Amino acid sequence: MGEKKDVWQGTLALMVLKTLQALGPLHGYGIARRIEQTSGDLLAVNYGTLYPALLKLEQEGYISSEWGTSDNNRKAKYYKLTRAGRKQLEKEAREWEQTTEILARFLAPGKESA
Amino acid sequence: MRRLRALLFRLGELFQKDRRERELSAEMESHLQMHIEDNLRAGMSTAEARRQALMKLGGVEQTKENYRERRGLPLLETFWQDLRYAARMLRKNPGFTAVATLTLALGIGANTAIFSIVNAVVLRPLPYKDSSRIVTFHTKTSMFPAFTLPLTWPAFQEVRAQASPLEEVSAYWQSDRTLTGRDQPEVLGVTGVSSGFFEELGARAEQGRMLSEQDHKPGQDHAVVISNTLWRTRFAKDPAAVGRHLILDKEIYTVIGVAAKGFAFPEGSEVWLPLSLTPEVQQNQKFFRFNVLGKLRKGERLETLQAELSAIGERILEANPGLGKGYKLSAEPLLQSRVEDARESYLVLLAAATFVLLIACANLTSLLLARGWGRQREIALRAALGASPGRLQRQGLVESCLLGLLGGAVGIALAAGLVQIFRAIAPGDTPRLNEISVDGTLLWFALASSLVSGVVFGLAPARRAARMDPNDALKEGTGGSVRGTSRFGNALVVLEVALAFILLIGSTLMMQTLAHLLHQNPGFRTDHLLTFDLPQPPQWNRKDSEGHAAGQIAQLKDMLAQVRRLPAVEDIVASDHGILDGMYFEHSGLQLEEALPEYSAVAESVIERYISPGYFRMLGISLVRGREFEEQDVRGAHRVIVVNEAMARRFWGTLDVVGKQVGVSNDGKETPEWNEIVGVVANVRDVGIQDEARPEYFLALFQWGVGSHHLIVRTQANPDALAGTISRQIWASYADQPLTHVMTLTKTIAESVGDQRMHTVLLGVFAGVGLALALLGVYGVVSYSVARRTQEIGVRMALGAGRTNVMRMVMRQGLTLVACGVALGVAGALATVRAIASELYGVKSGDPWTFSGGAALILLVGCLACWAPARRAMRVDPVVALRYE
Repeated sequence: MGEKKDVWQGTLALMVLKTLQALGPLHGYGIARRIEQTSGDLLAVNYGTLYPALLKLEQEGYISSEWGTSDNNRKAKYYKLTRAGRKQLEKEAREWEQTTEILARFLAPGKESA
Repeated sequence: MRRLRALLFRLGELFQKDRRERELSAEMESHLQMHIEDNLRAGMSTAEARRQALMKLGGVEQTKENYRERRGLPLLETFWQDLRYAARMLRKNPGFTAVATLTLALGIGANTAIFSIVNAVVLRPLPYKDSSRIVTFHTKTSMFPAFTLPLTWPAFQEVRAQASPLEEVSAYWQSDRTLTGRDQPEVLGVTGVSSGFFEELGARAEQGRMLSEQDHKPGQDHAVVISNTLWRTRFAKDPAAVGRHLILDKEIYTVIGVAAKGFAFPEGSEVWLPLSLTPEVQQNQKFFRFNVLGKLRKGERLETLQAELSAIGERILEANPGLGKGYKLSAEPLLQSRVEDARESYLVLLAAATFVLLIACANLTSLLLARGWGRQREIALRAALGASPGRLQRQGLVESCLLGLLGGAVGIALAAGLVQIFRAIAPGDTPRLNEISVDGTLLWFALASSLVSGVVFGLAPARRAARMDPNDALKEGTGGSVRGTSRFGNALVVLEVALAFILLIGSTLMMQTLAHLLHQNPGFRTDHLLTFDLPQPPQWNRKDSEGHAAGQIAQLKDMLAQVRRLPAVEDIVASDHGILDGMYFEHSGLQLEEALPEYSAVAESVIERYISPGYFRMLGISLVRGREFEEQDVRGAHRVIVVNEAMARRFWGTLDVVGKQVGVSNDGKETPEWNEIVGVVANVRDVGIQDEARPEYFLALFQWGVGSHHLIVRTQANPDALAGTISRQIWASYADQPLTHVMTLTKTIAESVGDQRMHTVLLGVFAGVGLALALLGVYGVVSYSVARRTQEIGVRMALGAGRTNVMRMVMRQGLTLVACGVALGVAGALATVRAIASELYGVKSGDPWTFSGGAALILLVGCLACWAPARRAMRVDPVVALRYE
């Protein structure tokens, strides 16, 4: 149970960071919706799992939070990227690209056998 | 780094839980509202919008719980929960908590107190610079086979010049000197020191300076350093004390410094001054008076030094064959030489205290095991609701450690009290007594032993709770017994009884020793005697020793006459040193006329005492032959001597020795002075109440004149009341004469058995506590088994077992445990009690009467402990018992 979650949490963290970089300060609901939309509804997860991930990122200092007002005048907690978070995003994105590249080579059909 | 930051963050969260909880709720609420609004906009009904939002979130409470788990530190939080739960459980059972706390407090208190004493006395390094490298030196010689002596001045010089493993060597010599000139005369412990003494010990001055090289030059050696205590008491902390004068033995000294607080080496020293020695002393090869301190160079070993000392000793002996064959120099660490005698007896006390703690722990284990059965349902329920075995075990340990800490807290108070009691009852000559205090070490030790014992006594019960199958436990209710665990409980009780038995034997042996000592008849009348010392300036460095001795004798005679005239005084005699205070002087190299062939020249040493006329008469020591000293035995008259029976029988083989000559060589002179035996007296124990009479001879005090005087007064009424009158009478004529060690003989005897008394008291307390706890253990286990077997007993009775049968069954169960404990205890006691064998007097460590008496006592009290539960078993109503299930 732990390991799977860690993988998911890892990718989820990257998604959160990327979202905040793209859209600027955003509340939890907004982040969840954005992730869902971007993933083209391929990713059906409970929005609830987002919150512990946000807390972890905040504890690690990659994001910070403050209370603000949403578009339709509702009080919400807004998260934004910190400088450390920006660096972390670059690093993780690079690592992720590498990982996917390697996996892609493995999974690309037929090339080696030829 | 990030991890650390997160950890700190999470730690911080623990302290703002409420605020964070409100924030979380608000965040969830806003999230849901936004989602619901979106859903409404998408055309859902209000109810559907809400339902969808909730589903998408995955449940508000679940989310919150996940969030919380990430937020704080779950381990710490569950620990906190466990702690609160444990506290609640303890509060709910005040009776159990009180008994457990008290039990532990006794064990931890006893252990902590003894440990802090052992730590202060035996373990902690001495408070001097590089004290672990400081060694002290001894001489062994066949002249005084019973003693280890300090060094002579020539030997000190040899060691200083030749022993290469030493970087510093210094000598000191303790003596008493009389301080006069202010208030009443006072005797001070004065230490003459060689150069380098203070540097070696790293002693510093609080005021002025310590002695240095320049103060040791002849003519400039009347400088003194005073102790901080003397500065406070005699000089009222006068900042101008340095430069003031001090009159010691009528010589004027200048105070050049006050030693820093806490510096008191050698113990009891109040003034330090440069050693100034006559050329005669500096060359004397038999004047074994100089204590020598050496400091080993870093990395040098004691063995290397020892080897060099042997060589030095051989060279000295070669040059001075008169020192005798056994002449040998040796060194040992200073700490060891100071606490050597004490070490073993303290370890015995520490062992006894540990036994008490072990008994307490065993007791608590069985208490907790018993209680564990009562809490079976509760624990099973928690297990069924998802508590993991680890969590249950942790819970149990938290509970027992909490109990341990409670017991430790009360134990600290007990320990502090015990340390104070120890300081009060410890004999005055206990080494490092003033360093014993209630301090941080005590707290840390108490804390550590609380937690350790918490784990020790809690582990078995906690593991059992964790292992339990909730299914069985919930189904079975109160029934069902696990054989294995009850056997474990029985083993604990057996162990407890065995330990208590060992303590009981140890303390009984000590009690008998004390009783024997206190009832030992020394052979003379010890009642109504008041004794005191009249310290005199040392004679050996006086130029006019003959005239001085004559003057001293005249003065002493006058004092005796004056005191004798006082009303309530029956008689007064003088001696050169005290009686029954353990001190004695020996003389070797006696020459005996017409003695048994092998004793014409006596190599062994004989006890020597100088006494005034009337000494034997007043003390009630019977004269077996001849006469005692009379007024005519004065300086210049025919020299006379009195010997005791032991001496006459040993060296002449008969009591008829009156008229024979005894040659005594004094003051290192080779030619003896001959004395005629005028009397033989009965053997008495005048050195120490526990010391068998040895060969001893008496010389006439007025014929010789000696350095120090000891007065013994027989009073008509309470001797204590007369102390003041006598002192005033003497001071009226001799204002500068100090009087010290004013004491009744009864008190001297009591002090001489101080060590045994202290051990008797402490071991007695430990044995009492241990016994009480062990019996509580027996009671607990038997009662518990009766409670658990109620149903079985009911069945037995229903099937026709009589009440006496039932009672016998319960008693048998309890007494079997006690008997096993006693058997184990006998074996244990035989193996361990030998440790106090050297302290016993009048009783052997394996004394069968003590053992059988102790066994009988424990069995008897064991019966009492089983009695209540047995009666309860007897009164079981079979109908009620069977309906119980």
